[in-house]
Amino acid sequence: MKGKIIEIKSDLNTAIKNIIKTLVQKKLFDAVFVPVRIPSRESFAYLLIKDKEILESITPLPPTMPVQGARALKDLTRLGKLNLRILCIMRPCEIRAAVELAKLRQITLQNLTFFSFDCPGVFPTAEYIKSPEKYDQNIIEKIKAWQEDGLRPNCSICVNFSHYNTPADLHIGFYRNHLLIYPVSKNSQKILDILSYRAEDDLTEWENSINTLLKKKKENRSRKFSLLSNQTKGIENLEEFFTGCINCHNCMRVCPICYCRQCFFESPEQSHHEAEEYLARAKEKGGIRFPPERMVFHLGRMNHMALSCVGCGSCEDGCPMDVPVGQIFSFIGNEVQKMFDYLPGKNLEEPIPLLTFKEDELHEYEDTREKK
Amino acid sequence: MEQTFNPRIIGFLCNWCSYAGADLAGVSRLQMPPSIIPIRVMCSSRVDPLFILTALLRGSDAVLVAGCHPGDCHYQYGNYHTRRRIVLFNKIFETLGLETDRVRLAWVSASEGGRYRDVVTQFTEHIKEKGPNPLKKEIFL
Repeated sequence: MKGKIIEIKSDLNTAIKNIIKTLVQKKLFDAVFVPVRIPSRESFAYLLIKDKEILESITPLPPTMPVQGARALKDLTRLGKLNLRILCIMRPCEIRAAVELAKLRQITLQNLTFFSFDCPGVFPTAEYIKSPEKYDQNIIEKIKAWQEDGLRPNCSICVNFSHYNTPADLHIGFYRNHLLIYPVSKNSQKILDILSYRAEDDLTEWENSINTLLKKKKENRSRKFSLLSNQTKGIENLEEFFTGCINCHNCMRVCPICYCRQCFFESPEQSHHEAEEYLARAKEKGGIRFPPERMVFHLGRMNHMALSCVGCGSCEDGCPMDVPVGQIFSFIGNEVQKMFDYLPGKNLEEPIPLLTFKEDELHEYEDTREKK
Repeated sequence: MEQTFNPRIIGFLCNWCSYAGADLAGVSRLQMPPSIIPIRVMCSSRVDPLFILTALLRGSDAVLVAGCHPGDCHYQYGNYHTRRRIVLFNKIFETLGLETDRVRLAWVSASEGGRYRDVVTQFTEHIKEKGPNPLKKEIFL
């Protein structure tokens, strides 16, 4: 048996909800960590749910992502491991970010079980809040047709939207009118055995639909990246790219990977200098911008976290000026991750390249001329 | 009279090897261009990519990062981490179409005063040929 299959009778959210309810009733989990629509009906928030009655109102598949799941989870496990078994229902990029944070020792994965699903992408939060009804309808159709117009730009170039490269325990796939539960990790079989749905061996149809979409997204991705490569070549283009930036640092605050409790870019070392020092800098260059160091912030953040960037696009979603910051981070992330043959969040055992090294490597970057 | 371009290079020198190497070059009275502004760091891995970035964006012509030879690090593995960081920095600059050869990583031990002179001389020559850092003129960064 490769997986279990359920026919979707009403809608996807209800179908996933029923699975979760069964698992909680059978006492496999003590609590559930899942997005819930907030009463104003315009947005979603992650809730840690203990009460079975609240489980009725969950939306495991929200059409938007106001908070990155890994960021929410970080607050939950900040002080170490949990004594309760918690089920987390998250998108693949959120799970990858959570694993990346576990490598950075910001999340403890013990006692956490992850469910991922075939992610259709999300709509930009600002757009969604304007007309929620329109997008609520759209998300269901999008899953059916796998369309991608109107999505968050990072979602339309995402190539890790399914179970590939995502270290979830169980993966939920969708095809035609069915919901497929697919075991990914070793201990997921136990959960699968408890669910009394029809077993299914032939997954070709689902796999084919995933692969077709993957091919399309890969094309989108390479097209977008070659465009970005031209848009950001050289300092003039780079300045134009970040023209709209108002230096609010929102991209850093919403980023799941940016975990430092005191960010360097907001520390006194970076921003509190004597006027004389600024004058000296102004004398050197002829003039300097205020607030200073806008470009240092973006390029510095790239150096700090591009290797771990999961490309979720939260930064762009949080940007009040619509700077395509998520796309440039995806693009740079892709380049540097390729160099170290590393995919963030794919495997908990694989260390982040900057935290490890080989003794004999990368000599072409050393100055060895005239060595005696 | 035309002014000659004298590059200004920020040199991050590790306390245990390169700073001592530079000192040795000095007390041995080796001739080299006065282009390096040395900053002593306890280990080359103390050099956050931000330091290099800030130096370049604020208008220094180049940055030299020097540390102990691989295997000789006072803290055992610091310089291996430095190497990976510099590589990452290089890759990001290359991808963004910025000049990567204004940053150089060199291994200079405490006994290699001569080597320090060579590294500095060559790097200065190279930057002299290239001319001043174009980022110096960018005031809206």
